[in-house]
Amino acid sequence: MPSDTTGFWTPVALSRDLPAGTAMPARTASGSIALWRSASGRISASADRCPHRGMRLSHGFVRGEALSCIYHGWSYDQAGHCLRIPAHPGLAPPETIRVATYDVEETGSVIWVAMGTPASKPPRLDGLVPLRSLTAFANIAAIEAAAGAKASPDGIVEIDASTGTISLLLSPQDGQTLIHVLLKGDLGPAGAIGASRAAESLRRRAEGLQKKEVAR
Amino acid sequence: MSMQAMIDEWYPVGLFSQLDRAGRKTALMGEPIDVACDADGNARVTGRDGRALPVRVRYGHVWSSLGEPKKELFPIPEADQPGRRFVDVGVVRVRCSPLRAVENFLDIAHFPFVHTDILGAEPHTEVQNYKVEIREEEDEVWATQVKFYQPQAAKSASGGITTEYMYRVPAPTCSVLYKTCPPRPSEWDVITLFVQPLAEDLCDVWPWMALFDDETAMTDLIHFQQTIFLQDRSILENQIPRLLPLDPGMEIPTRADLTSIAYRRWLKRHNYTYGAQLVAQ
Repeated sequence: MPSDTTGFWTPVALSRDLPAGTAMPARTASGSIALWRSASGRISASADRCPHRGMRLSHGFVRGEALSCIYHGWSYDQAGHCLRIPAHPGLAPPETIRVATYDVEETGSVIWVAMGTPASKPPRLDGLVPLRSLTAFANIAAIEAAAGAKASPDGIVEIDASTGTISLLLSPQDGQTLIHVLLKGDLGPAGAIGASRAAESLRRRAEGLQKKEVAR
Repeated sequence: MSMQAMIDEWYPVGLFSQLDRAGRKTALMGEPIDVACDADGNARVTGRDGRALPVRVRYGHVWSSLGEPKKELFPIPEADQPGRRFVDVGVVRVRCSPLRAVENFLDIAHFPFVHTDILGAEPHTEVQNYKVEIREEEDEVWATQVKFYQPQAAKSASGGITTEYMYRVPAPTCSVLYKTCPPRPSEWDVITLFVQPLAEDLCDVWPWMALFDDETAMTDLIHFQQTIFLQDRSILENQIPRLLPLDPGMEIPTRADLTSIAYRRWLKRHNYTYGAQLVAQ
């Protein structure tokens, strides 16, 4: 993936998996985060922990342009400021109550989260159409070995499937790798199934290699 | 973590009504224990290497301790009051600190969000001021004059009412709740939370009730409470950190959390730190 001394972009999810008005957890190399998309379609990423009682914010609910914690309904804006504490409706929450947030970008129907302060924008992935994401209990090296190819600077490994070449966008997490399957245009239902199976088969091989690596 | 202060306390280890000769294997604070009844129907609790542990049978449950309890099991006078129905709700296993389970039980502000349309509903989210104290003579945490609007406060309630609550914490992993009794306004329904600490981050929760309700079927009473506790579990297993932080700075309490603040202070004062996190990590 593109990286420099100040930070890098990590692809955490596909745009299609986060409709407007929803929240979801996402994993990064530095832990779990909460991803959410407001009613108007704005996407945000924050620490996955409400500072009130430590509940995961990714279990929360989205109303309008705010994310609310499912435990006590404390709500936060896109910048992480606490907007409302339902137990005390008359109270303006102090400025000090806030959650850490991350920069987010969407390119090529992939959601990218900034780890640190990247100097550039995330890769554009021109001509690629995301199909699905899957998690492999294997590191990047095991996936590269299973694919017989090295990842590009953008974090993409190409493999051959019966329907043609497919691109796997890799995102290393804590001991696992999130794989986003990207297709070169619309392959139709049969092509999508073939590509999906090719990615699953690669995952099995990579996990097998990883197990051997660990056992050695 | 220190076990010393909490080791001499009483803990629930099973339902008395479900004891059998074969016994039930479970755990108490990390130690495997066996809970059975003997030929005469008396409860027996056995620890590691066949060590006989202290036993009490009270409030539908068998109680035991790994240490030497210096105090008798706390009283619940309502347990001897005629006319009440006693409900063994059963067990809910929760992957959380036993102290977090108790703290959640003491909290009312989550009702509209976690127990939506049962114990609370928006827009009735405000927590009015209530009184909290540590009663020195009994050495218990008490919260009184707690009021909350509830769409369906109990199985016996029809329609929304403002319910009044009193909370008691008589032991580090037990709480007793006194709550407006819809069919009998002069009395309190009693709902308890008895928590068996299996490990610092794993517990069996045994709710028990002593109610004035002659109408509702026992199965429905049990289902009602189990629904509530399963909703709580979805919260308790997703709090970070898993242990209860006793140092300020890790979490942000408000006025609605006064009971929790007193509970944490009381735990700290007694060194009741099994299941607690003392230093922010």
